[in-house]
Amino acid sequence: MLGLAGIIVFIALFIVFIFLGFYGAFWRKGNLDLLHEWGLAGRRLGTVLVWFLMGADLYTAYTFIAVPSSLYAKGAIYFFAVPYVSLTFAIAMLTMPKLWIVSRNRGYVTAADFVKDRFNSSILAALIALTGVVAELPYIALQIVGMKSVLQMMLLGIGNAALVSEISLIVSFIILAAFTYTSGLRGAALTGVFKDILIWITVISVIVIVPLQYGGFTHAFSAINAANLSARYDTLPNNLQIAYWSLFLGSALALYLYPHSINGSLSADDKNRLMYSTALLPIYGIGLAIIALFGILVYAVPNALSVVSKYGGALAVPALITSTMPDWAAGIMLLGIFVGGLVPAAIMAIAASNLLVRNVIKEVNPSITPKGETTLAKWISAVIKFLALAFVFLVPSTYAINLQLLGGILITQTLPAVFLGLYTKWFNPWALTAGWATGIISGTYMFFTFGLPRATSLYPTPFGLMYAAVIALVLNLVVSVIGTLIASALGFKTKSNISAEDLKR
Amino acid sequence: MVSVKSILAGILLLIPFIAYFAIPTYNKVEPDLGGLPFFYWYQTLWLAISTILFSIAALLLARR
Repeated sequence: MLGLAGIIVFIALFIVFIFLGFYGAFWRKGNLDLLHEWGLAGRRLGTVLVWFLMGADLYTAYTFIAVPSSLYAKGAIYFFAVPYVSLTFAIAMLTMPKLWIVSRNRGYVTAADFVKDRFNSSILAALIALTGVVAELPYIALQIVGMKSVLQMMLLGIGNAALVSEISLIVSFIILAAFTYTSGLRGAALTGVFKDILIWITVISVIVIVPLQYGGFTHAFSAINAANLSARYDTLPNNLQIAYWSLFLGSALALYLYPHSINGSLSADDKNRLMYSTALLPIYGIGLAIIALFGILVYAVPNALSVVSKYGGALAVPALITSTMPDWAAGIMLLGIFVGGLVPAAIMAIAASNLLVRNVIKEVNPSITPKGETTLAKWISAVIKFLALAFVFLVPSTYAINLQLLGGILITQTLPAVFLGLYTKWFNPWALTAGWATGIISGTYMFFTFGLPRATSLYPTPFGLMYAAVIALVLNLVVSVIGTLIASALGFKTKSNISAEDLKR
Repeated sequence: MVSVKSILAGILLLIPFIAYFAIPTYNKVEPDLGGLPFFYWYQTLWLAISTILFSIAALLLARR
């Protein structure tokens, strides 16, 4: 558990966090009754702020907890998070500046806004929006799972730890919902900078101090070898190579389809600045790589290892921090991870509520005013946060993890309409809808027949285990292409509402 | 219609894909770095290389 000095530092910094969250409403002031002012910070964030905001998406409490704990338990295969980080930004460079341009020119707030006009289909747009919302919800729940691990480590040994941790989470979420309501994405951007500074302090201190004090990786690998574990840690087993590349490719394709990533990109004030900040984001990944390696380093620190083997891999990083750092420093670092769950949860809830209001509710009730639209989005974002919180309290965290894995498979199926739509209007909207349905059904089928109860999104193929999202995407593309060929043979031509000019500068 | 600059930028963005897909080239322990197998530090190093490649690509694309 964390000593008193650590808890005082934790609470003091949390108060700073709350202040920044509310201060966001007064910062670069805009009319927060408009959806793009509230939900996209008025498209006014520069290179550095977009970098921090997007980094906040990648560096979530869940990443901090899940990647190292998977590496700790399953070995080298989970290092796929590193190539994924590099490739996802290459894909973002190819897609997000284009989406940014068309969104500014035509006033879009979501990717589904774009799909609706590009392929002249409200139904396809609503399906894309709903896929985004469904994929986003378990992601928010996982942030809470990550935050719970921090509280669990802090309260270890206290009698009613579960109750204290639930009350702390509820209080944190009431505060988060309040400042998201008043400040929107501005609050998330400001608190994102604060969180990232704490996280970088953590990453650098742990990677310097632990190897110096505990003999580092040489020691960790000899402890792993002595323990005779079934997973491979030094390199990747040959039969998992297809699993490895399909995981990093599929995850890289998926990240910028998630509503929160698109939301963050659209908040940039300029296309070129968006490109610069995207290009610099792999630097962030170096921190992620180091954190991932904490899952191996934990084997070198006996105190941490005993906590982890007793309470589970989710505590790998919190245990490593509390057993190697002085209390006050551990307080700073644990708060970094804790707010590392809150900031992304805010961005995700904002993005999901934008989608629901813009592409589902407004379709049903087109007479809604811009102010009514924004008020509704503010309330929905609060409701989403508390639904996620209730979900985590009521069901075991393995369900949240499984739903998040399924969410990754589902969101990938929006790729043809969103990413390819930026480059071509060739596709027929009904063919894209059929392709989407094929991907969703096949992906879900693969996940339920093989993924459960193993909690994996891999699926066995004749070549070896492969990421189901990639298999489903291939089927989706085949149906989209064949469907479009048939439609154009029958004489159907897609009527796009977007001119070629709208996609240029 | 497609400019030389966009093609160059496209190639720069493609290089990390080639590096990471060539799994057998880095799926080994030696040479290690302070006890850390090649597999881990090589892939992390490519994040730094990616940043440089993507930044050049961004400069090329931005000047239009």
